[in-house]
Amino acid sequence: MSFLDLLRTAFSNLRRRKLRSSLTILAIVIGAGLVSLLVSLGIGMQGFLTDQVRSVVRSDVVMVASNPDLFQLGLDGMGIGGKPQQISGNQSGGFNLEPLTTQEIQEVQALKHVERIDPFIILQADSVRLKDSQTRFRTDVTPQPEYDMELIKLVAGRKFADQTHGECIIANQYLDVFGFNSPNEALGQEVIIRVKQAVSLFGLPAQANEYSFIIVGVTEKTLTSTEIIVSLTDGEAMSRFWANTPDLYTEKIPPAILEVKVDGSQYTDQVAREVKSLGLSTVTATDMLGIIGTIFGIVKAILSAFGLIALAVASLSIVNTLIMSVYERTREIGVMKAVGASKGTIRILFTAEGAAIGLLGGAIGVAIAYLLGFAIDRIARATFLKDFQTIHVSVFPWWLIIGVIALTTVIATLAALYPAHRAARLDPIESLRYE
Amino acid sequence: MIELHDVWRLYHMGEETINALAGVNLEISHGEFVSIVGPSGSGKSTLLHIIGGLDSPTRGSIVVDGRDLSKASDKELSSYRNKKVGFVFQTFNLQPTYNALENVALPLVFAKVPLGKRNQMAREALNTVGLSDRVRHKPGELSGGERQRVGMARALVNNPKILLADEPTGNLDSKSSERIMELLTRLNRERGLTLVLVTHDLARAKNANRMLQMHDGKLTESADFR
Repeated sequence: MSFLDLLRTAFSNLRRRKLRSSLTILAIVIGAGLVSLLVSLGIGMQGFLTDQVRSVVRSDVVMVASNPDLFQLGLDGMGIGGKPQQISGNQSGGFNLEPLTTQEIQEVQALKHVERIDPFIILQADSVRLKDSQTRFRTDVTPQPEYDMELIKLVAGRKFADQTHGECIIANQYLDVFGFNSPNEALGQEVIIRVKQAVSLFGLPAQANEYSFIIVGVTEKTLTSTEIIVSLTDGEAMSRFWANTPDLYTEKIPPAILEVKVDGSQYTDQVAREVKSLGLSTVTATDMLGIIGTIFGIVKAILSAFGLIALAVASLSIVNTLIMSVYERTREIGVMKAVGASKGTIRILFTAEGAAIGLLGGAIGVAIAYLLGFAIDRIARATFLKDFQTIHVSVFPWWLIIGVIALTTVIATLAALYPAHRAARLDPIESLRYE
Repeated sequence: MIELHDVWRLYHMGEETINALAGVNLEISHGEFVSIVGPSGSGKSTLLHIIGGLDSPTRGSIVVDGRDLSKASDKELSSYRNKKVGFVFQTFNLQPTYNALENVALPLVFAKVPLGKRNQMAREALNTVGLSDRVRHKPGELSGGERQRVGMARALVNNPKILLADEPTGNLDSKSSERIMELLTRLNRERGLTLVLVTHDLARAKNANRMLQMHDGKLTESADFR
């Protein structure tokens, strides 16, 4: 039997029993649709978060901290139910930060391809309000070096230099709560940021100070919806008050975290390695994306497990359908054998029918999932994600489409093996007598 | 040339062993028309199945044109059924969802004949049995006699050397039976097909060159022939 005839026969046999074939294919469609839709949503979400990370963390920046395992603190360190971990050498038993030494900073500064280093300014602001209003809002004040602002996209206004004093860029979401109708309306307005000393975190008596800023820019909408960007100069001043330490970020108390700008993103990994060899810890954009990748790998695996269960159930339905079909077509099988079909031919004929169910089910399932994903995408962007027009909630890369169809075809083919074996084994004479 | 040497075919039915064939010796020459008569259950069909390569002897050998079928693999046997023999069944065994042409072309599918050639050959075979005007009809739209002629066209389509007919007129009225018998004898005479006809209709059996009688799995040349 030629391959073409095999295909022709397999598909025409499915057509002959339309209702039953459709139901069996539907089972595969549900499984394939679930797998591909869920994975596509996972991919969409991961893509969105990756973009967000890329928009916040430059690929040519290495974050450097003193504690060699600061960024490696994971669940394993918590020892849930396990033995208390021994703390070796200079290691710290908990999450803490220690200032870098002046020598360490100089060593980092001296590394090849290091363009500039800035302290990473740690600061927690209490609230923000418009100058003429007493309504206060939460805020994350993020002092940023000038070059870091390149990643920020503004819908109005401008950026500022490191030495600037008293200017800020506000997150788009503040427009609404401050009562501005357009981004331009916000420009030139004055906001008051209140900072309470960090000791207040521990219930100790603390002072508060207010800092005044003129809004010079408004960002487009991102996930960092409470961000207010200030210059390094202003940031350092606020941070010193917050920490109640006027010597912070000076030679007396150097910063605990450095933001190291490399003179080309191709050198980021190299610089990170060299910094590590100085006994310091590092984090780069690649590391963060790696973590996102790992998390979403797990998420996608869990999501596709649901679809795989559906596919497993569907494969039982294929076995069932084909066994029924073997019974019904016993006589036909007898005739085929009488006119020259070998056992192998009968086997491959039934296997091909299974494969055809898998192929059709997979293709239809992916197509439906694609349309659903497209619809979800449209609905999401028309409603709760309307300010994130660059997001694709559901993403279908070619490997997902091909992969799911291949998967359902393989599963269906495997499911068809046993019925096909039964069909092949039928005694032709018995089959011809079968009523 | 078909040669059967001491062919036995045993069936186990529970505790009981049935000798469907009990030491059959038979030679059929090229172009011969042999009929086999006998009561039902005497082993006629089993003999036909063994000659046609659908069944294998429990013991003994069957040699067709020098090839020992009892030692052939499934693949060799199916190729033999496909190319050397044509079966005509009492119940026609047509595929109800296929039209006449598709039914007739079925053996050619397994012979890997391409579609165009296949349809041409199937048309010719339908022409031979006088059904060139029923090509697109499904079995349900044909009379009994027409269905059997489709069955015969299917048996003929691959130009076999041997035609095996198992009660081909058993389900037909006398007029249709007449026509089928005419067709069979003509194919035997004009095309030199070896024809083995199983029947319990003595009158029809007598059309043959040779009539064999089957009884309890044993074969005897019929004494009252002609």
